[in-house]
Amino acid sequence: MFLDRLLNQGSMPVLEQMLQFTDARQSLLAENVANVSTPGYVQKDLSLDQFQEILQKKVEEQESAAPGGVSFDDVSMDIQQPQRSILFHDGNNRSMEQLMSDQAKNALMHNMAVELLRDQYSMIETALREGK
Amino acid sequence: MFDVLDMGASALTAQRIRMDTIAGNIANANTLRDSDGKPNPYRRRFVVFAPGEAEGSTKPGVHVKSVQLDQSPLPKRFDPGNPDADKSGYVSYPNVDLAVEFVNALEASRAYEANVTMMDTAKSMFNSSLRLLA
Repeated sequence: MFLDRLLNQGSMPVLEQMLQFTDARQSLLAENVANVSTPGYVQKDLSLDQFQEILQKKVEEQESAAPGGVSFDDVSMDIQQPQRSILFHDGNNRSMEQLMSDQAKNALMHNMAVELLRDQYSMIETALREGK
Repeated sequence: MFDVLDMGASALTAQRIRMDTIAGNIANANTLRDSDGKPNPYRRRFVVFAPGEAEGSTKPGVHVKSVQLDQSPLPKRFDPGNPDADKSGYVSYPNVDLAVEFVNALEASRAYEANVTMMDTAKSMFNSSLRLLA
């Protein structure tokens, strides 16, 4: 498919994956904040480093493949339970500061990906309008 | 995708129930009799949170599992003139500690704010995603 190939080359699939990642991570962070006073609740997270590693491998594959030849749809990750902060007596390892800074970073990353994707789309639109 | 908002709403509800409980404790900090008018000092109530949007639900979130009575001993004060005093002249008062209640209230209100922030962030993320279409 021509359109498929058009929308599946360059940075577009990468940005799409970034959007999906930040959406999923936002859900987990919100769940953590919701359960900030729940006894025995263990914080959940998706590792940004691991995600970027997977993405980097995909991008390297893509560089040596035909345009649109590498599918990014199979990028998936497991939910982790990182032990970053101290465990309170109620069995909860909350860290409000960590959560708030993570969600701010996550939202910025999401908005950055959206803006870049918009640029890509508008470039395609310009080409479709023959530069008019 | 809109699960985040439901999750936030469940947390807001839970924290508000917690705040209601605290308000009830403070209001009854000096209540010596039960609703039938019999001598029975008020016992402090507290909420127990559990993960999940509701009991048995698989949706993420938080809910109030139960409201329990604090079974710690009631403090006694010597007041022989009080009609509720026991034989040795001591009156049992509710086991509500105002300092503890205020600290809990502060924690509940901060947690409420944090959840509002998460919902705001999620909303702004949805909005920016929607702008991809326009």
